[in-house]
Amino acid sequence: MGARPANPKIRLEAATKTFDARGLRVDALGPVTLTADDGEFVVLVGPSGCGKTTLLNLVAGFEFPTTGRVLVDSGPVGGPGPDRVMIFQEPALFPWLTVRDNVCFGLRQHRHLDERERRGIAERHLALMHLEAFAGACVHELSGGMKQRVALARALAPEPRVLLCDEPFGSLDALTRERLYGELQEIHRQTHTTILFVTHNTREAACLADRVVVLTGRPARVKQVLPNDLPRPRDFYNPRIVELASRILDELKAELDVVGEGSHAG
Amino acid sequence: MPDRRDTVRQDVGLLVFLLLLVAVWQAVYSARLLPDYAFPSPLEVGRRLVELARDGSLGASARASLVRMALGFSLSAALGLLIGVTMGASRLASRLLKSVFLGVQTLPSVAWVPIALLLFGLSDAAVYFVIVMSSTSAMAIATADGIANVPPLYVRAARTLGVSGAAMGYRVVLPAALPQVVGGIKLGWTLGWHGVVSAELIKSSIGLGFLLYMGRELNDAAQVVGIMLVTIGIGLLVDRFVFGQIERSVRARWGLER
Repeated sequence: MGARPANPKIRLEAATKTFDARGLRVDALGPVTLTADDGEFVVLVGPSGCGKTTLLNLVAGFEFPTTGRVLVDSGPVGGPGPDRVMIFQEPALFPWLTVRDNVCFGLRQHRHLDERERRGIAERHLALMHLEAFAGACVHELSGGMKQRVALARALAPEPRVLLCDEPFGSLDALTRERLYGELQEIHRQTHTTILFVTHNTREAACLADRVVVLTGRPARVKQVLPNDLPRPRDFYNPRIVELASRILDELKAELDVVGEGSHAG
Repeated sequence: MPDRRDTVRQDVGLLVFLLLLVAVWQAVYSARLLPDYAFPSPLEVGRRLVELARDGSLGASARASLVRMALGFSLSAALGLLIGVTMGASRLASRLLKSVFLGVQTLPSVAWVPIALLLFGLSDAAVYFVIVMSSTSAMAIATADGIANVPPLYVRAARTLGVSGAAMGYRVVLPAALPQVVGGIKLGWTLGWHGVVSAELIKSSIGLGFLLYMGRELNDAAQVVGIMLVTIGIGLLVDRFVFGQIERSVRARWGLER
């Protein structure tokens, strides 16, 4: 992939996170050092409960590292901001707003836009997700996959430079998921947004990532980084995707074994 | 949305059921199980109501009660929402006020009448006081609970889209809490209606409560029962066609119905 630019978009420097849960100290994130370049699609895979979500929360600004630093554009993250939009496993759409107004939601913070411009941007992003016919619909009228696509459109409408995805396709059926892989890759191609994507689905990781970062069990550390420069758009059934997925799976299995032995010994 | 024909069928069913109740009432009356000075027949009640309507006292009284309610309840709703939002915004306020309001709610509305008379004498302010004390706490608690029950994920989603501070309140928390707030207002209306009739029963020279009191003074059981029915009827109509309608449309929008 050539030499890395000096200033990555996102940089974690030995970041750790420790929670204090009812007097019990929980190390959620081990020292993690990780970078994502501008426009790079980085997928984080790890055993469930390993602290992947905590890592995203640090970049989103929902939480702050206990030690180490989390930098975006070389500056420490001071809190949540519309330059780093996060989408969740649940679509988290607002049921009191129409689909269009949901997509407009983040744009209301942009005071320089007037209502017509906001609507225009919203409709453009809905069209990108093939949902223009549902602009006036209520949220509860949509299927699960459509809701998640609206959530994507809502996240992308303010044109964030970083998109943080916390297993956004985890609760969808396989067919809907595969379709969304295509749409997400197309959006990435068009917008060059830096994407940090958390999943435990190895095929998903292999299909989407420029770089797959395999994390250890809790507290999460970087175990292995697997570059992936297969040409895009990628087909979910491409044998090389399947092959990469099985390599990721091997790494994860090795990790589970280690965790298993560790708990046995302890 | 239910089929229009279904709704009509349900309404017809309800009407038949009500007619059946009236028939049972008539049967009990005809069987002379209770002395007829205390237990009037449906016909007597109907006749008395027509008389009251003819001489204008029924309309004037119903109007008086509704006007008092409109004023008192508006005040009460404003107070209830304000206190509820304060409780929703501050954990301390919520802890302190909730126990007080739960306590206040256990008091029947008529129990506020003596203190209202001592404080405000024979003025209409006493009626408003009883309405407010009867209904504010229910609305405050519903609003506070609605805010406390807002899914944290909505707040996170809004924060990541750059919303914070007061905008989080009016763009996310209040709309998300609205179904519960509307439910509280609906309940508050019913409790306030109890309050206004209770207050009029003891203090006033006009109003549904006053007509009830006069019926008792004149040993006119038909008037007492008739006014009770009118009170129930108005209460139900407003509940169904004003607050019920609002509640249904909110719940339909939020996808909470069906």
